[in-house]
Amino acid sequence: MLMENVRRMSGKGGLVRTRKPRITVFHCFTALENTASLEGSDYEIQGIKMPCSSISREGFLLRAFEAGADAVVVLVCPVNSCRYVQGNIRTEKRVSRVKKILDEIGIGGRRLNMYNIVQGDEAAARRIIEQTVAELGEWGLSAAA
Amino acid sequence: MIVGEQKPLEEIKAKVDGYSKILILGCGTCVKTCFAGGEDEVAMLALALRLSLKMEGKSIRVEEQTVERQCEDEFIKEAAANIADVKAVVSLACGAGVQMVASRFPQVSLLPGVNTTFIGILEKAGLFTEKCLGCGNCVVDLFGGICPISRCAKKLFHGPCGGSSKGKCEVNADTDCAWQLIVDHAAATGQLDKLAEYVPPKDWRSSQAGGPRKVHREDHEI
Repeated sequence: MLMENVRRMSGKGGLVRTRKPRITVFHCFTALENTASLEGSDYEIQGIKMPCSSISREGFLLRAFEAGADAVVVLVCPVNSCRYVQGNIRTEKRVSRVKKILDEIGIGGRRLNMYNIVQGDEAAARRIIEQTVAELGEWGLSAAA
Repeated sequence: MIVGEQKPLEEIKAKVDGYSKILILGCGTCVKTCFAGGEDEVAMLALALRLSLKMEGKSIRVEEQTVERQCEDEFIKEAAANIADVKAVVSLACGAGVQMVASRFPQVSLLPGVNTTFIGILEKAGLFTEKCLGCGNCVVDLFGGICPISRCAKKLFHGPCGGSSKGKCEVNADTDCAWQLIVDHAAATGQLDKLAEYVPPKDWRSSQAGGPRKVHREDHEI
């Protein structure tokens, strides 16, 4: 079971504490209108809606981890489909930089990922979340959350 | 602008080790422009420090503030209240800003978070290049607006060295040979004859070789 997989030690007397994994989803509203269709009972979704994915600056991505995210997913439009021309390219570079910082910190860059999705493809977005939840089952919850 | 690079996180972490509360003080002018020490970089460093220490089971309280310029008293006094509340300040200013804050607030430990690198320009998005050494006697008019002091690895005043190859410098093949650029510019503008004029050797007394320099403007003194 997923919940068993995401258990972690509290560090106090060997008590085991469990909670649902938290995923923060930064999404441009062209790629995905909202995160309502991504909700699930085994995990928590925090949606951050933006007019363009390039607004997800490095600090916002890191802050999501400080605020308790176990994984952060950034959903952007396909290459050459950004209404602001280069927004998704800028996002990719920012995500790449923050992944390195997460590796350096010890949280792990693998917990932050960007995906290109076709406008309104909720099924693709849902598959991405399911994949992320499955990966969190292997990795466990973030120690920084 | 003055171009700098933020120090590696590990180095800054080692500097703040032992402090329970610090202030990260950014500078909103040169180092902001080169993405080393502006408001965004202050926020990123604060987050990275907090998260990194949390991963090690430690905690630190990190305050954040960015002033317009750390090299001017008028601006750094805005940080006085926050500085009074901590024992250490990580300054993300250039070396001038760090020293200004250190002298203004001697009661705190001033920890530099940026390596000041050079005086340069934004050549294109994401690329900063050195253009000036601050030698104290600008003569770029003699060289078509190209400074052989800062842009030639050997600081030659009298034409390219034997190491110039296909327009590139022998010290770094990614760097244009400044003298190739000077000659090309002179040829393109019909001023090759100007390069035949005698230019006396560089007088380095106006540069750092004469020790710390001052610019005194009595007309601005009150």
